[in-house]
Amino acid sequence: MRHSFQPLPTFAGRSRPVVDLVVEGLELAPQACLLDTGATAVRMGGHVADLAGIELDRSMTEEIALGGLRTTGSAATVQLELRQGHNSHVWSPTVYFCDPWPWAFGLLGLAGLDPFVVTIDSYEEWSELRPRRE
Amino acid sequence: MTDAIRTVVIASRDFALRASTVEHHLLAVLPEPVRDHFVVINRRRYPPKQVVSVITGLDRAEFTSHHARRILTGLGFPAGRRAGGQAGSDGVEARPARPEKEPRSLSATSRPSAETLEPFAGLWVATQGPEILVATATPHEVVAWLAEHRQQADSMFRVPADEFQAGGVAPR
Repeated sequence: MRHSFQPLPTFAGRSRPVVDLVVEGLELAPQACLLDTGATAVRMGGHVADLAGIELDRSMTEEIALGGLRTTGSAATVQLELRQGHNSHVWSPTVYFCDPWPWAFGLLGLAGLDPFVVTIDSYEEWSELRPRRE
Repeated sequence: MTDAIRTVVIASRDFALRASTVEHHLLAVLPEPVRDHFVVINRRRYPPKQVVSVITGLDRAEFTSHHARRILTGLGFPAGRRAGGQAGSDGVEARPARPEKEPRSLSATSRPSAETLEPFAGLWVATQGPEILVATATPHEVVAWLAEHRQQADSMFRVPADEFQAGGVAPR
């Protein structure tokens, strides 16, 4: 299934490749995450952990420099679900929930993309995440 | 839009309404889900009955949706009809319907346009197809609204107010 880029108002730049992920069963509000092939980890705002009722292990906290800003992330292994038509793909990567989080989207870095073969068509503005065959 | 006082009769009672007062009343009121008709106030789409109930204190059973719509368009607010209905006749186009019959596996997901998002820069939104369900100051309010109104969004994010928020551009 193809995922359209999210168009943004002109002051925010061009459309971005995002996919919507259900985090730990928070079905009513899938979180838009930027496909970030330049990042290694999966990072989201700390508010997502609050909303999904995810307990964070503060001993697994680290300071991260991200996008020109320092933020603090707490790691947790959580279930992510990517819905694609009638099918869905579920996997459980480590996600860093960060505060502060001034960005618009979560960041789906390489560790979150491991289960997929990813195609990004920047010109046509779509992406495709095809689950890797076991 | 003129801001003259307009006297209307609703449920056998007289009300003196002014457009600016209606706008002020609704600043802190989140719109409920739009089923069919809507009016646009403060750049948001409200069900007409919700608006008239808020500004008059009347129970919604005391007036019809059409009556509420007529009152509000009489105050100068644009009105329209949601996708799936007919296009509005007083200034607002109905948005395109979601392509429900098209196999989703063959088509790309549908998302709100840049123009649709622009008035909500800096706010958290829940979207469904090309439409914005709700826009609020915090992500917690978005989820509370979705739960209260039993809505399921396709996507939730903050509309970036600049390029930094969109992707984390390093400072220059």
